[in-house]
Amino acid sequence: MTLQNPPFQPAEEKARPAPAGSGFRASAQRHLSKLVVAPSFAAILVFVYGFILWTLYVSFTNSRMLPVYDLVGADAYVRLWKLERWYVAIENLLIFGGLFIGISLAIGIVLAVLLDQRIRGEGALRTIYLYPMALSFIVTGTAWKWILNPSIGVQEFVRGLGFETFTFDWIVQQDTAVYTLVIAAVWQSSGFVMALFLAALRGVDQEIIKAAYLDGASLPRIYWGIVLPSIRPVFMSAFVILAHLAVKSYDLVVALTGGGPGYASDLPATFMYEMTFRRNQIAIGSASALMMLATVVAIIVPYLYSELKGGKRV
Amino acid sequence: MSSLTSSLPRADGAGARAARWGLYLILLLFAVWYLLPLVVMVSTSFKSLDEIRTGSLLSLPRDISTDAWSYAWTNACIGADCRGMAPYFLNSVIIVVPAVIISTLFGALNGYALTKWRFRGANLVFAMILFGSFLPSQVILLPMAQTLGFLGLAGTAGGLILVHVVYGLAFTTLFFRNYYVSIPDDLVKAATIDGAGFFQIFTKIMLPLSLPIMVVTIIWQFTQIWNDFLFGASFAAGGAQPVTVALNNLVNTTTGVKQYNVDMAAAMIAGLPTLVVYALAGKYFIRGLTAGSVKG
Amino acid sequence: MATLSINNVRKQYGSVEVLKGIDLSLNDGEFLVLLGPSGCGKSTLLNMIAGLETISAGEIRIDQRVINGVHPKDRDIAMVFQSYALYPNMTVARNIGFSLEMRGLSKAERDEAIGRVAKLLQIEHLLDRKPAQLSGGQRQRVAMGRALVRDPKIFLFDEPLSNLDAKLRVDMRTEIKKLHQRLGTTVVYVTHDQIEAMTLASRIAIMKEGVVQQFAPPQEVYERPANMYVASFIGSPTMNFIRGTLSAEGDRLGVSVTAKGPSESGPSRFLPLAEAPAEADRWLGEEVILGVRPEAITCYDPAIAAGNPALVRVSCRVSVLEPTGADTITYIQLGGQEVVARIKPSDRPVEGEPADFMIDMSRANLFDPRTEQRI
Repeated sequence: MTLQNPPFQPAEEKARPAPAGSGFRASAQRHLSKLVVAPSFAAILVFVYGFILWTLYVSFTNSRMLPVYDLVGADAYVRLWKLERWYVAIENLLIFGGLFIGISLAIGIVLAVLLDQRIRGEGALRTIYLYPMALSFIVTGTAWKWILNPSIGVQEFVRGLGFETFTFDWIVQQDTAVYTLVIAAVWQSSGFVMALFLAALRGVDQEIIKAAYLDGASLPRIYWGIVLPSIRPVFMSAFVILAHLAVKSYDLVVALTGGGPGYASDLPATFMYEMTFRRNQIAIGSASALMMLATVVAIIVPYLYSELKGGKRV
Repeated sequence: MSSLTSSLPRADGAGARAARWGLYLILLLFAVWYLLPLVVMVSTSFKSLDEIRTGSLLSLPRDISTDAWSYAWTNACIGADCRGMAPYFLNSVIIVVPAVIISTLFGALNGYALTKWRFRGANLVFAMILFGSFLPSQVILLPMAQTLGFLGLAGTAGGLILVHVVYGLAFTTLFFRNYYVSIPDDLVKAATIDGAGFFQIFTKIMLPLSLPIMVVTIIWQFTQIWNDFLFGASFAAGGAQPVTVALNNLVNTTTGVKQYNVDMAAAMIAGLPTLVVYALAGKYFIRGLTAGSVKG
Repeated sequence: MATLSINNVRKQYGSVEVLKGIDLSLNDGEFLVLLGPSGCGKSTLLNMIAGLETISAGEIRIDQRVINGVHPKDRDIAMVFQSYALYPNMTVARNIGFSLEMRGLSKAERDEAIGRVAKLLQIEHLLDRKPAQLSGGQRQRVAMGRALVRDPKIFLFDEPLSNLDAKLRVDMRTEIKKLHQRLGTTVVYVTHDQIEAMTLASRIAIMKEGVVQQFAPPQEVYERPANMYVASFIGSPTMNFIRGTLSAEGDRLGVSVTAKGPSESGPSRFLPLAEAPAEADRWLGEEVILGVRPEAITCYDPAIAAGNPALVRVSCRVSVLEPTGADTITYIQLGGQEVVARIKPSDRPVEGEPADFMIDMSRANLFDPRTEQRI
């Protein structure tokens, strides 16, 4: 799972075209500005937008092992949506995404509110809650795989304590393997959600809290009725971040289940890789990649749009 | 930053004290949950194979043995290559250092140009660059593989550096842009009247003011690129693979007896650089994580 | 030192015109204050003089040289910003010397110039500090020092005192005035503070919505405002605007203020003018607005009134007294309209009771109620 960060601070609309300056000297500097951005922008144009088009094009061919460039229409999409494995990946994404987002939000908010109660050692706790984000899941997955492994992990440990019938073998069961992905993903990202909400909590106007307190509101009521509603935008941000992380989840699956057993815990990201690089189904792989992109765009674009709008309103 | 409730008087009495104990208990239980995998990794990496077989998951090592670490570093087999993690670790360093420097530099320049010398369409350019940070990498894997082949960079560290620089630009530009937006335009105006040009203002005024965001960006990019697996797995061949790919290969090699302690030691080796950076400069890493996603 | 002339200068952002043809010209050594509310275009004009904004139309000349296309650093101007815009990463000394550094002066030359300016502004002890370690007033001085060091032809000030607290603002105002007297450099100074404008300017240009309303020395702006906007912008409490009709009583021309309430009574609702306005015939019988500063209305004193025919006696009911110490602001009813008078604290009319006042009609202004222009 690659950690992505969507923050978008709306441009300050009120700021005029910065120090313009008259005459050719100043306009030369403005050209300089374009010139400086040009290499990056060109790279993004080619490597992001150009490549999206390339993949889009390939998805309309019948490329198999190598890309070919004869258009055959939406054939690959038709075949993609006939593959049972694709349905498994989509269904897994829905289960995984829903649980991952919901649980991460719940844990993140609870931890943020609890940590906000003038906790001794808050800094240390925060550091502990967030470290999973700093490590590759390929690394921590090594430990998770072991913990979840029924014959050497938690199941064995609990049985060793005397609970002989204890069973925790989700990772090897077809219909439960995807839930182990949820456990590990929540473990990795909930600290981040906590950090988002904690920062937002600390940005809430203290006067409002004081006023509510004087009005006789209890602490839980203050949080539930005043504080959380006032940081509503953060829910949106957190949701968008988590949702697009879910769509892109890849490392997690590779490290934990490898998509198995069989392909029971495939997600679209692993499906795409499998089709493109292992099964010589480049066109289908490309089609699936575009479905992922479409999903991300459907999440991101309305969000960015509303953020920009919000920026104008402020 | 101070606690939201810091302006309120503390509750006291027995009930309040019990509630505070409960509060700490919950927070500590969560800390245990977060720490569990790390503890398992560290303690297992210092155990002998015998001890792993006889002991339990959570027990601490009886005799601390660093054998697994040295074996993982120099002798473990990644595929058919039994030189340990060391050469792959070096690969990662070779990829990460230039990629971080180049992408940070471009990010700083872009941020400066996009905020302080705003040209027509600057916001659109920024939005288009920003979108790159949301891009599912799967969409560009195939064309990138083809392009790297075309450029003769397939399977090389150079190719991976290029990939990381390009797809890091969205973040580095975002960081610097949002930082420079908060630096008053008056500084640039004053410097212009004082006679400084585009690059002089950048090097003499903006860059010296950029230390905090520079640290955030470098740490962010370092962590991202070091931890990358997908690009490494897709574009690096055999000996040029970064450490994460090597680790995955090592862990998933099923030949012979499974040496869990070596797996864990190798995982620790792969994770240690980012872990150390996080421990030393976690504050900046968190700032990178939350940069801009909370409206201030 | 230089002359500055601004000829029919316009500024447009897209379809919005922020400056609608500005004409101003300054003699060498003058202190021009651009005064107006926020959004009137005064800062835009200043930035155009500095070269930080392009000029959409018209031209700006410094010493007869058109500078429209000249880079800011080649205009020989220096600017003090509202935010001071000190470079946070540099020491005070380097901040002051930065423009010289950019012009390639040697370290020794720079140090000499920095020392001279630091002495002038009494900030020698601050030279090694960073801006963050300075108080607001000290930053202000450093910002001035940065402008002074180059000995420019024109100083531009963009609301330089508005970030200071009230007391410091008064002190710095005096210092800027002294500095100007000493150096004699031409200054363009932007502010929304009428006191700053009155105290500092040799001439004030009052702006509103991109148009200069009046361009004149402070006392003239105060006493003979070009229109009601200017009249109300300057002076506190603001000028009284009394509605009435221009009429003649015998051979005297005056303003009849119609009494509306039963409580109004007195010797005269007819306020004779000290001098006839231009085109008096045209205005006879027309509605006009009489503009009277509060200090032109005082308690009636027969000894003073006897010797001055311009002083007109009126009897009015007093509604509220507001003592300020130096004088007492008094609200009175004149012809059903509330009028503010500034009286001596020793005169003590009783709230709610009528009292006699006198209006100095030689200081009155007449305005056209439709155009709000001075008649």
